[in-house]
Amino acid sequence: MAASASETVCAASSAPEGSALPPRPRRRRQRPEPQSIGLTLAPMIDMSFTFLIFFVVTTRFMLPEGVLTSMMPRQGSAAAAVALPFSPIVVRIGQTGPGDEDYTIRVDRFANAPARFADLPEFLRGIQSEPGFDKDTPVVIVADDDVRWDHVVSCWNAALLAGCKNIAFAAP
Amino acid sequence: MRYRRKRSRTSSTLGFSATPLIDLIFTLSIFYMLISRFSTDEQTPMDLPRPHQSQAVVPKMPDRAVINCRPVDGGDLAGHGVVYSVGPNRPEPLAVISDRLAAWKRETPELKVVIRADRRIPYARVRAVMRMLAENAVPVLNVAALVGEGE
Repeated sequence: MAASASETVCAASSAPEGSALPPRPRRRRQRPEPQSIGLTLAPMIDMSFTFLIFFVVTTRFMLPEGVLTSMMPRQGSAAAAVALPFSPIVVRIGQTGPGDEDYTIRVDRFANAPARFADLPEFLRGIQSEPGFDKDTPVVIVADDDVRWDHVVSCWNAALLAGCKNIAFAAP
Repeated sequence: MRYRRKRSRTSSTLGFSATPLIDLIFTLSIFYMLISRFSTDEQTPMDLPRPHQSQAVVPKMPDRAVINCRPVDGGDLAGHGVVYSVGPNRPEPLAVISDRLAAWKRETPELKVVIRADRRIPYARVRAVMRMLAENAVPVLNVAALVGEGE
């Protein structure tokens, strides 16, 4: 059975008559193998780690730094010679101990000054709403020599929060 | 004579792999970022004031001088434990800084000055700097503080 099948195939081939060459076997047409589509993970992981390192290195977890700005008195006009238009709001800061919360706040001519700087803006706004005071009323910060710089900046910041436009520093 | 068909060789693909190149570029950039020192050099590490609901803004000051006031390591804050320096320079007496500032003011009249003072130092030490700025006719006082919610 097998021999007869091969003969049948040979008979179908196009070998020239009388040629010495044996007839070529018919080749079956081969289908192209499907290309495998895959995701190469290695470069992606590589890049991911590189980005991760980049962001870890460049990220800052601390608060950004800014500045509080104020005008300085002009040279030649001493602080005592500056004519204040009308009664300023004088905020006095004292240090009572070495701790962060060891300070006192007093406001001249106004009782019930707040104990914490967080409440000072509201207190200053209350003063500004009284007759004779507004946002242009100068606020003079008077701090003792031993007061921590942090408290002076907090007082300055509170005055800015209250919308005060004229903030000055004075020696105790 | 047999009919032979040449077996075709699979041609090797010549391509440009960009991944290692990008890898290297990023690694090098991280390396240079780590070893480089930019303008943050003038920002000597210190504990800056953190006011409640800080009104401090991040400024754009191309021509500026930064005067750092920080406590001496292990020094007595109430006494003479405060040192002054201009940017990343070594600590100097305030009189020397004043002379230097006067020279800069002659070269750059629009020079801005920022005081960076540690929050723990006494006010008298910073007031000395403020007085020095007034003597040098610096028109604007800029004081560094942290931006954002404090306390």
